[in-house]
Amino acid sequence: MEQWIEFAKGPLFAFTFLIMILGLARHFIIQFYSIFISKGKQLKNVSWRKIFSDMFSWVVPVKHLIKGTRIFSTVSFIFHVAAILVSVFFIDHIVLWQNYLGIDLPSIGRALADILTLVVIGCILVLIACRIFVRRQREMRRKSDYVLLIMVLLPFLFGFLAGHPAINPFPWNTAMLIHILSGEALFVVIPFTKLSHIVLYFFDRLSVVHWQLKPGAGDKVAKALFGEEAKV
Amino acid sequence: MAEPLLKEETGIYKKKYPYYIENPVVENRVAQFLEAFAAVLNYTDYKPLLDSYCITNTKCNRCAVACPVYVTTQDSRDIPCYKTNLLLEIYKRYFTFGGWFRSRFLTKSFELTEEIIDEMLDLFYRCTACRRCTNECPLGVDHGLITRLGRYILSLIGIVPKALQVSVREQLEGKTHNTSQVPKNALLNTLEFLAEEIEETLGIKVEFPCDKVNREYVFFCAVSDYLLEPDTLMGNAAVLYAAGDWDKWTIGSCNYDGINYGLFYSDWHLENIIKQLVDEVERLNGKNILIGECGHASRSAHDFVPVFGGKKTYPVMNFMEYTLDCLRKGKIKLNPDIITQKVTYHDPCNIARSGWIVNQPREILKSFVKNFVEMEPNGQYNYCCGGGGGLVSIDEIHEFRMEVGGYVKAKQIEQTGAEIIVSPCANCKKQLRELVEYYNLPCKVVGLHDLILEAIEIPGGKTSEERKKMKEEMEIM
Ligand code: SF4
Ligand code: SF4
Repeated sequence: MEQWIEFAKGPLFAFTFLIMILGLARHFIIQFYSIFISKGKQLKNVSWRKIFSDMFSWVVPVKHLIKGTRIFSTVSFIFHVAAILVSVFFIDHIVLWQNYLGIDLPSIGRALADILTLVVIGCILVLIACRIFVRRQREMRRKSDYVLLIMVLLPFLFGFLAGHPAINPFPWNTAMLIHILSGEALFVVIPFTKLSHIVLYFFDRLSVVHWQLKPGAGDKVAKALFGEEAKV
Repeated sequence: MAEPLLKEETGIYKKKYPYYIENPVVENRVAQFLEAFAAVLNYTDYKPLLDSYCITNTKCNRCAVACPVYVTTQDSRDIPCYKTNLLLEIYKRYFTFGGWFRSRFLTKSFELTEEIIDEMLDLFYRCTACRRCTNECPLGVDHGLITRLGRYILSLIGIVPKALQVSVREQLEGKTHNTSQVPKNALLNTLEFLAEEIEETLGIKVEFPCDKVNREYVFFCAVSDYLLEPDTLMGNAAVLYAAGDWDKWTIGSCNYDGINYGLFYSDWHLENIIKQLVDEVERLNGKNILIGECGHASRSAHDFVPVFGGKKTYPVMNFMEYTLDCLRKGKIKLNPDIITQKVTYHDPCNIARSGWIVNQPREILKSFVKNFVEMEPNGQYNYCCGGGGGLVSIDEIHEFRMEVGGYVKAKQIEQTGAEIIVSPCANCKKQLRELVEYYNLPCKVVGLHDLILEAIEIPGGKTSEERKKMKEEMEIM
């Protein structure tokens, strides 16, 4: 078991993390290129201020939480904040960043991390409940919506169990291994599923740029389909 | 207020509201649709956007509660994301590697069918493209843009409401070059008539400038205003006159229509109509484009003259911006004692959603209307009148616009208790008037400059008090 954990923490971690980084980098490059480079000329009609405010205005969506879908929105916002804080700044993870990326990050204390982990777990349960019980969400659900929520739940749940032997029904090793492997599974699926909004979020928000249509394209489409004499 | 006449229990919201299509295609629509989609992807640059939407769309359905159509019907097919997803699924299946792979090696893969085309034909014209949902989507998924793209592809296989197509054809290929087929001499007659009316009501003698070159502003309004909204136009004229700018503007006689239905369904037409507009300004050697009270005309010119105008880009101004400027500089005076009724303001989506024109009309109104109330919500978060996206021009779906699209708006209007609704947009005014009549709301719908016409002080003309008295006497008679 020990070797398995060492393997999961070592090469497997590096490998899966790399998949995630490369996959997300691909998204980033394609979107960045298509928005900021190939749309270059049209882009001059949009101010940088507008671009930045559209990109980041929802990062802390305070004014949107109080209307419409209150429970869902608030819970999902808290979930995002807590999940990012724990997974990046948890003291044991800081070591990983030091080892692999050579960066020193500040860490949050164990007590806070415990609370945040419970918050994350609670939020995920509420989100699952929303999918099941809120009609408009239920109507468009896909299997993957549940699968992904559970995949996100696993590393937090088993991380917490591993850290609290008193309530952990599994041997420490097992819990730890599941924690690590499920986290790594998540790395792998991130670039291929809706979780890639980690990166794409910022580009999706730029619909103002996509409204800068391509000059001449309409005529070309019409000619390709109807010939030179295309009529309305 | 009366409940919508067609209640939910009857399941009537499932009802479809078909529109006339000029030459309905019946055969082989799937292949044609895919061919058109491929051509669009080939020459435009929607691809990266679709790629991203396909993968990130979380289907959280937060957008649903923002959509006036869904709020009214509670029908799952009216969820904005559901509509968008129709097009995204087709894109994913036929134009991405993943889709190809699935269709080759997995048994249950999505296929485009005639039924799905029917569904798109229906749903893309159940959305008013108001983009309210976009404001509430955490990811900023722009359903207005996707609805429009869907309509564009459908239009390429001949599926487009006849009302829109006929108008666009006249505007681009007809003799009159405008959507209402107003010939040049009819325009000139109208201008004469307006001048006479102005002389009678305001007591000043003017001649409308037509085809004057080298002017500061070339004026375009929705051409229907020349037929239906004399008060709005006279209000515009009154501001120009009072501000001393009478010899700074002109109307062009080769093109005097600001309407651009291309904004609602076709990149192709959008671009060509914009070019036509720009050519007219160039012919007259004007300096700025001044758009009258029309939301979509303002947005299409403001947003797309820089895109499609090429080297010939001209600054675009909405008339309200001009009026506010005059007001701030003290060039015009509005009498605050004329309009005594309770007034509210409806934000046309096309100019308000982006935040472009939200405060200007309010500043103008508050300067001379004492009893002003806001609708809730308003500004960037306003509800569409229910006739956006060209729907207002499609007469045969009147029932949809009243029962579904405009129901939320009608309730909102009722809550304000206003006697006058100001809405500076030709489309909104038409829809709101129909709504007010349909639901028996005790109020009147006008343009902003209709009110200005009553309250403005004209140097050398009758005072606003005199005009008010005159009007009251006329009403008694
Ligand atoms: S709010 Fe945005 S992400 Fe959520 S379902 Fe609607 S479009 Fe999709
Ligand atoms: S654009 Fe307007 S009508 Fe269309 S789905 Fe969005 S909110 Fe509804």
